[in-house]
Amino acid sequence: MATSDLPRHQIIKILMAQPPEKAADAAIHIWEQMASHIITIIGEDGFNSLYARSLFLSQAKFPWLSTSSPTPNAVHRFDELKTSLEAQAPAQASEANSLLLVTFIEILASLIGAQLTSHILQLAWGINTGNSTNKEFQE
Amino acid sequence: MNEKLSMRCLATGVPGLDNLLGGGLPEFSFNVIAGAPGTGKTTLAHQIMFSLANADNRALFFTVLGEPALKMLRYQQQFSFFDINKINESIRFVNLSADLMDGSFDRVKARIEEEVKDYAPSLVFVDSFRSVVRSAKRGKQGVLELQRFVQRLGMQMMSWQATTILIGEYLPSESESSPVFTVADGILSLSQNLHHNSMVRKIQVVKIRGQAQAPGLHTFRISDRGIEVFPRVIIEQREVVESAGKLSMSEERVSMGTPGLDDMLGGGLPVGYSLLVVGPSGSGKTILATEFLAEGVRKGEPGVIAAFEKSPSQLLSTKLSSLVQTGKVGVIDTHSLDLSIDETLHDLIGMIDRMQAKRLVIDSLSGFELALAPEFSEDFRGSLYRMVAKLTGMGVTILMTSELEDRFTDLRFSPFGSAFLADAIIVQRYTEIGGQLKRVFSVVKVRGSEHSKDIRLFDIAEAGIVIGGTLAEYDGIMSGRAHRLPLTERMDN
Repeated sequence: MATSDLPRHQIIKILMAQPPEKAADAAIHIWEQMASHIITIIGEDGFNSLYARSLFLSQAKFPWLSTSSPTPNAVHRFDELKTSLEAQAPAQASEANSLLLVTFIEILASLIGAQLTSHILQLAWGINTGNSTNKEFQE
Repeated sequence: MNEKLSMRCLATGVPGLDNLLGGGLPEFSFNVIAGAPGTGKTTLAHQIMFSLANADNRALFFTVLGEPALKMLRYQQQFSFFDINKINESIRFVNLSADLMDGSFDRVKARIEEEVKDYAPSLVFVDSFRSVVRSAKRGKQGVLELQRFVQRLGMQMMSWQATTILIGEYLPSESESSPVFTVADGILSLSQNLHHNSMVRKIQVVKIRGQAQAPGLHTFRISDRGIEVFPRVIIEQREVVESAGKLSMSEERVSMGTPGLDDMLGGGLPVGYSLLVVGPSGSGKTILATEFLAEGVRKGEPGVIAAFEKSPSQLLSTKLSSLVQTGKVGVIDTHSLDLSIDETLHDLIGMIDRMQAKRLVIDSLSGFELALAPEFSEDFRGSLYRMVAKLTGMGVTILMTSELEDRFTDLRFSPFGSAFLADAIIVQRYTEIGGQLKRVFSVVKVRGSEHSKDIRLFDIAEAGIVIGGTLAEYDGIMSGRAHRLPLTERMDN
């Protein structure tokens, strides 16, 4: 199964399906929702390490993504990411953010398991995966 | 209204631990799990949490600067008790690291309070509490402030009707001086004891308010199912008296299954007795034990064998294998070489209860001693005494074998000096008669019963042990070199 077919990736696609002019805002909103839940569980440091690694990996395809780690300040945590995304065409920004999210989630899943990851994402994004998607989502 | 408060105890879900705690974890108590790194503190806390947490009793797990939560979630998931569906439904993890940065107790306390208000948990865990204390020291807050903080936290948690467990890397030497320990209602101390090259995990309930804990150190094991505690057997005075009473009253006897042996024992082996069969290698101890079990099966009395000399697949005789296959005889797997006596006893009692067994064979004590972790070997005699007393107290009749190389200068019954703990003893020997090495045996002791004093020849035939005649015309048999007595003396006999 190609990784892009995984339900958690489908969910990211759905989340990212916003009007192009709001792509950057929508992207940051997704990150903020997820970050607040994940930080509660694994702490600021845990989140920052995973985020830095995701950026590093995503830069291979999108070198323009900002390199610095998010600031501990919750309000400005994703300011740099937002600036990077806004400087790009909406489609390009959306694609880059999708890759960044997928990379982050994949690393998290590799560390704490797909099931627990999906559980946290459900809570963060409020998306009910309790249907047929759920089965795959928890594979 | 003069009814005294009856405290509710929470079942921890950790096998054996509730016995140690004197019934379980008292509700709304403030407890500490202490121990050096690697002793299993977080695992114990998680196991208790996953067992107790449900929709009505939620748990809050605060992680501090110790093990990063990311790692904890990764590793703890390997245990079968880790239930992902409980995460955030009934278990919430909260990271406190940021609140500790300025080293202020007040901020930590405020954050804990805020989370507790928000989630209304019945269980609160802080891992590691040591990190809280250390950061406070950096913040130049004194011992008094720490004590006040712990006291207030304890009070606060009780007011919120939460049972609290703090986890910390405390060494035994610190436990007396730390204010955390003074305030705590319960203290569980975990340790890894190294002896030669083996390691044994131990747990101690140092303190538990309002309940009588099982004192002393008890062994535990961590497997993929989590922690399992093997409470050390403590023989109560009452049990000793009952056991002694039972022995003197015991009229009932079990048949040994070897033709002629029951008569020599004075009518069979009294029920609830322990019989020690001592002899050199190959003298027929295991065969005697097999016949004892087979006779039990014939009489409808299931048996259990703890075979320390051979693995179950290598059981010497086909007879024993077939008994095991019928399901009437249970085998205790004893492969591990770092067992504790209590762990073995726990397994034995479990199987005896399950099978309603009446007969038990321990083959052999020498193998048993080898299978134990070295530190238990040192007190083998004492531990064996407790084990035998416990099992015979359950009404089980025990046959233990013990290998003893033939010594022809002294007469010994066991290499452990453990003969005293057996109620009956049979000694097997090789002796030289007429240019042949013959097997002989004798019933040395049957407590409180008449028994034969003869030294008898015996042979191992296809069907089993065949007891031969007495050797009245010889002396020095037990020295290995029998001498035919002069005719005049033989006639006297």
